[in-house]
Amino acid sequence: MALQILNAGENDPAKVVEDLETRITNAIADAEVSVTAAGPGHFEIRVTAQAFDGLSRVKKQQLVYGAITDLMSGQNAPVHAIDKMECLTP
Amino acid sequence: MSLDEAAREAIGNLISGHEVTLFMKGTRQQPQCGFSNTVIQILDSLVTDYQTVDVLADQKLREDIKTYSSWPTIPQLYVGGEFIGGCDIIQELFQNGELAEALGVELPEPGTLAIEISDRAAEQLRAANEQQGGPGRALHLSIDARFQANLFLGPVDGNELVVEANGIELRLDRMSASRAAGLSMDVVDTPQGPGFKIENPNAPQARIGQLSVQGLKALIDTGERFELMDVRTIAERETAHIEGSTLMDDAEASRLEALPKDTRIVFHCHHGPRSQQAAEHFAALGFTNVHNVVGGIDAWSNEIDPSVPKY
Repeated sequence: MALQILNAGENDPAKVVEDLETRITNAIADAEVSVTAAGPGHFEIRVTAQAFDGLSRVKKQQLVYGAITDLMSGQNAPVHAIDKMECLTP
Repeated sequence: MSLDEAAREAIGNLISGHEVTLFMKGTRQQPQCGFSNTVIQILDSLVTDYQTVDVLADQKLREDIKTYSSWPTIPQLYVGGEFIGGCDIIQELFQNGELAEALGVELPEPGTLAIEISDRAAEQLRAANEQQGGPGRALHLSIDARFQANLFLGPVDGNELVVEANGIELRLDRMSASRAAGLSMDVVDTPQGPGFKIENPNAPQARIGQLSVQGLKALIDTGERFELMDVRTIAERETAHIEGSTLMDDAEASRLEALPKDTRIVFHCHHGPRSQQAAEHFAALGFTNVHNVVGGIDAWSNEIDPSVPKY
């Protein structure tokens, strides 16, 4: 039986970190974003943005998740889980 | 990734069709993942009536709902059309009481709850506490959303309401406390030995219609549509059955549960007790038109149709 080899080019952690940062920055105005890889497919995200002001914790996380859903969807998604998400206001 | 209009509308309709909707893996009866199961346990302790949607049965929905909610994981809970959160958040809101509030469950203020414990029950509880209690352990009373009571010795978590009656301290979690006002507890003798008997005035009076076999015959003769459920075993059914009845299995139970709550459902068994239990179960789920056939298929065979074998 052949072992499946994941495409390292697409799921390279450094590239995924960059993708995550780009998506979030594009989706949330003036967001300051920092993403770190925490293991294969696992990431930690910290976002600071004025847009979070007055929102509940769930609504803040929805803003971030909404920006990165496509990276978390389907089989072989580059992002398996966000282990930690911090949503701060400046 | 964007969601096509049709998918967005379909999900919107699902959510607006019910006050409480849970997108989960598996069903309420058979959750297929630990996180979904945790949320089911929580919801069951708060409400009897809610809708679940199994995302494992629909690959497209499984991905679509993540985009719709901007939330990457299942389960997902909606209340009154609002996204509440996933498993972690639901657990947190359950602990701090906000979920009960969102679901419209009223919790009693500490000190306002009164229950009664008979002398004999107090004596038994005291003995149990002395034998099995210990530091950090105490008597608890829980009452689930179907008003099933449970007495147990367990660790004190500090969030319970403490109620004292007849010298006994009982701890109730907040949900149980909301269902316990005026409850009374006694010990009665049964063929299996003494047991606790708990009367709870808050339990909805299970209005089970008692239907004679003549009544059942008359109902069948009207030609009106109703559900006639046989709650016996497959072997019993092979021996004898009433024409027009359906054997109750898991699939049938799920089908019934999804029917309108005013659907007329008639249960029968061999002599009556099992069907009474089934009827009470459905009454507790909120069904308002449930009936039990008194005397069961045995009475049917004696009084209506002697061609049905007796066993």
